[in-house]
Amino acid sequence: MSTSLPAREGATAAGPSSPRPRRRNWRNRDRLPAILMSLPAIVGLLVFVAAPFVVAIILSFFNVHIGQVRPPQFLGATYYIRLFTDPIYSGPFLRSLLNNFTFAIVVIPVQTGLALALAVLLNSKLRGMPVFRTFFFMPVVFPMALVAVIWRLIFERSDSGLLNAGVHFITAGVAPAQDWLGSSATAMGSIILLSIWQGVGFQMIIILAALQEIPPDRYEAAQLDRANAWQRFRNVTVPGIRNTLIFVILLTTIYAFRVYDQVYILIKTASANQDAVQTVLYQATSAVFDQNNFSLASAITVVFFVIIVAITLIQRALLRQRNEG
Amino acid sequence: MSNFQRGRVWPLIAVAAAAALGLAGCSSGGGTAAAGDGTGNIVIWAHQGQDSENAAIQAAVAGFNSSQSKVKATLKILSSDTYTTTITNTPTDKLPDVLEMDGPTVAADVYNQKLAPLKGLVADSTIANATGGSIAEGTSHGKLYALAMYDSALGIYGNKKLLDAAGVKYPTSIATAWTADEFTAALKTLAAASPTGKALDINEQYGLGGEWGTYAFAPLVWSAGGNLIEGNKASGVLDSTKSIDAISTFASWKPYIDPNADGNAFPSGRVALGWGGHWLYPAYSKALGADLLDLPLPNMGTGTKTGAGSWTWGIGAGTKHGKAAGAFLDYLLNDANIKAMTDANGAAPATKTAFAADKTYQAGGGLALFGEQLQHACPSTAITADCVAVYRPVTPGYPTITAKFGAALSAIYGGADTKEQLGNAAKAIDQNYSDNGDFK
Amino acid sequence: MKTRKTLAAVRGYAILTVLAALMFAPIYYLIIGSFKPSAEVLNGFGGFLPVDLSFNNYAKVFASLSSDSTGYFLQYVLNSLTISGVIVIVGLVINSMAGYAFARLEWMGRDKVFLIVVILVIVPFESAAIPLLFMLQGERDTLLVQIIPFLANAFSVYLFYTSFLSSNASVEEAARIDGLGAFGTFVRVVAPNSKPVFATVAILTFLSSWGQFLWPSLTTSDPAVRPLPLEMGAFSGLQPVDWGAVFAFGTMLVLPILILFLAFQRFFVQSVASSAVKE
Repeated sequence: MSTSLPAREGATAAGPSSPRPRRRNWRNRDRLPAILMSLPAIVGLLVFVAAPFVVAIILSFFNVHIGQVRPPQFLGATYYIRLFTDPIYSGPFLRSLLNNFTFAIVVIPVQTGLALALAVLLNSKLRGMPVFRTFFFMPVVFPMALVAVIWRLIFERSDSGLLNAGVHFITAGVAPAQDWLGSSATAMGSIILLSIWQGVGFQMIIILAALQEIPPDRYEAAQLDRANAWQRFRNVTVPGIRNTLIFVILLTTIYAFRVYDQVYILIKTASANQDAVQTVLYQATSAVFDQNNFSLASAITVVFFVIIVAITLIQRALLRQRNEG
Repeated sequence: MSNFQRGRVWPLIAVAAAAALGLAGCSSGGGTAAAGDGTGNIVIWAHQGQDSENAAIQAAVAGFNSSQSKVKATLKILSSDTYTTTITNTPTDKLPDVLEMDGPTVAADVYNQKLAPLKGLVADSTIANATGGSIAEGTSHGKLYALAMYDSALGIYGNKKLLDAAGVKYPTSIATAWTADEFTAALKTLAAASPTGKALDINEQYGLGGEWGTYAFAPLVWSAGGNLIEGNKASGVLDSTKSIDAISTFASWKPYIDPNADGNAFPSGRVALGWGGHWLYPAYSKALGADLLDLPLPNMGTGTKTGAGSWTWGIGAGTKHGKAAGAFLDYLLNDANIKAMTDANGAAPATKTAFAADKTYQAGGGLALFGEQLQHACPSTAITADCVAVYRPVTPGYPTITAKFGAALSAIYGGADTKEQLGNAAKAIDQNYSDNGDFK
Repeated sequence: MKTRKTLAAVRGYAILTVLAALMFAPIYYLIIGSFKPSAEVLNGFGGFLPVDLSFNNYAKVFASLSSDSTGYFLQYVLNSLTISGVIVIVGLVINSMAGYAFARLEWMGRDKVFLIVVILVIVPFESAAIPLLFMLQGERDTLLVQIIPFLANAFSVYLFYTSFLSSNASVEEAARIDGLGAFGTFVRVVAPNSKPVFATVAILTFLSSWGQFLWPSLTTSDPAVRPLPLEMGAFSGLQPVDWGAVFAFGTMLVLPILILFLAFQRFFVQSVASSAVKE
């Protein structure tokens, strides 16, 4: 695919030489097919992604739940006010928000960096690279629900947990068994570790493909200039994959804010430290799961939605600016 | 140009949103139970338990179908981890004819009109044979909505060999339950005598933040003379000095508690005492044999109290076959089916005749003390000095009570301040009541 | 010079081997544990040892899911396959058409609508789940409710869009000049030449729908329609947890995808990579 790209670009360049009037003609005819072709997806997105947001706003102002038998009471902005001012609600909510940010701030650079490191290692000319690539990519096909169950046993707090056995072995029995998921100091770190294990292979593959698109002669030129390995990485590799890295960072940001499955499963089945690992989405769903409180859950959803859109727009603007500048 | 474009997009969104709301609007409204003529097809929901429990309920349904030809029952066994959420989030018209529920959630289901009153649908003799606990748990606003097959029992299991070896005296009756100070002293002695330095297992692996927390440790609050809620108010009750002292004392036992990650702390002999339910009895009695003791929970001031209540059965308010559903419950609650179920899970039978016939819970049986506790049962609104087994509050606000109490307990156990945590829990519970007009 | 190169190679292999072993350890732990009694699974490093191997755990999983009331294991597999299959196929059709309409066709309002799509890319489905649960409460316990919210996918539209944008325009224009309409060009010319992006979207959609957890746990309870991953939760929720059986379930949950991945991995990796790099 990639090797044929230059030839195709040539062909594209020849495109505009086709007769203009006829082209305009069929462009105008495209309106109906264009609308028909995009309609199913647009309607789907509006009904199942955009409309729920509008519904969430409405639900957050009323006391409603499923199978409502009494007329819904109007609560106004009660839950929004509570989320930010009443310690009973704002405590866990702000903590969840903080946990989300902690997760994102650690995972985005660490996972991208690790993926880059793995990709660079795999991009060598040595034999057998596809075998290693297979091992690194394998966790990507694992559903998060399963990943959480496997790692719950690895993080098991008794001596029989794998990680504790490893620590015991390395420190020759000096370090006592840790409650990795239960302790507030290590719980978030544990969640981050298993999330990176599952996700890093995907980013690695994308970066690896970008690395392989960098023309070898650029490296040869750098070598002639007596650039060392770090300089080659800094001046050839990174600029060569800049756009891909931006894509990967945006993708990782999206994934980092939707972290949910592993948090839910580990809190519910492995006594993970709720305060330390709960995320905003966990707060929202447990308002429904545990208390049937749609108003609270919807208010959380709305605030979270606004925050995410804001972050992403800011991030996009920043990355684009740096990219252009 | 751009105005025109905007004009095209926003109406589309508005239409989609309106359509979505319309979709939500039309599915509300509960069904009303119809008695029917006692024939037809009925659907039954049960929670997924151990394989042996599933087999017992499957056998009961099969037995019902072959015992008569007027009603055909179909059983659905649903995942237990989301079972209660499922019922909460299912509109009444989509609920089955017969459903199993966790006891403390009955009042919330009644409040949301998901259940039909049982009187007139099940036989009077079935109601008359139910234990006092079964009736207490299934009654809301003076009407009976649910009947149980079995009840749960809770206490402290003791390892006689280890207790004797450490020279620790243990209570032999409800009246002689350890006081808080005696219990703390016993833990100290036992921990000193144990190679692991631990003395007690509280089945921490179930999670104190979940129902286990409320079920197993609210009895300490009751025993201290406190409560979770009184007259729709938790402030001044849940965070009263009595309640705070009880929970603080509990948290002070943490150094002696084995985390029990492997579920084996008590049966393997790592600790001498195990805070646990009836369901552990089969495994424990196999592991310890004659050394297994059943002891009351510590007396925090007003006599020992313990938890009770379990799964219970009701009729969906949307049923068109109320009589048929009632006939199934009559069959399900007969002695043979209850014996098969309690043989499978070790629980205490919740009908008078089956309870009397269960040797484990009668004098001389392995769980005689647990059985005696259940015979001194009361609701949490009327706790008396001689009541031991206390049923969790029958109120539509229970889901919030247990969520907040569990979260507070878990945080306190993890080192947080008792007064602050219980105070916040009480405030959150009160808010929930006032948001919902006290669930009137 | 040569020894330096060899040394570097040895070092490279050593690092890669250690990393690969670390990445593979949890997977090996899962698979070997699925053949062992529970007590041997949670047993420190002993968890890695192949002792007491048998198919008992697999038999246990099948035995406890083998009646109408509990559902059958194969039925859960079929439910999951149906849900994922429909989402993938219908999703490919509608999202690729939309991607093409945004990338290649000119129509009023295109850019404004596309901006909305781009914003929707970042909205996590999970944040829409709660209002959706409310909107779709009447559709509980159906296959449909597990499918429709996932058909239109902003990220898929976006991937198709970027792929079509950078594809060969002259062939399309030639087709158009030959009298083929927009739709005809898309079906006969563009789609057949865009296999990698179709494969990528298919793979990504399949992986995310096969592993769906939150939404089905909110909307389904009937064994007749519940998907496979939820039943694993049912297994690990019971006390005491039978880790051997849970691992056997987990292995069966992931093994089909793992085998497919190993068999087609060249294609798999290349298509994901080639269509993502376009960005």
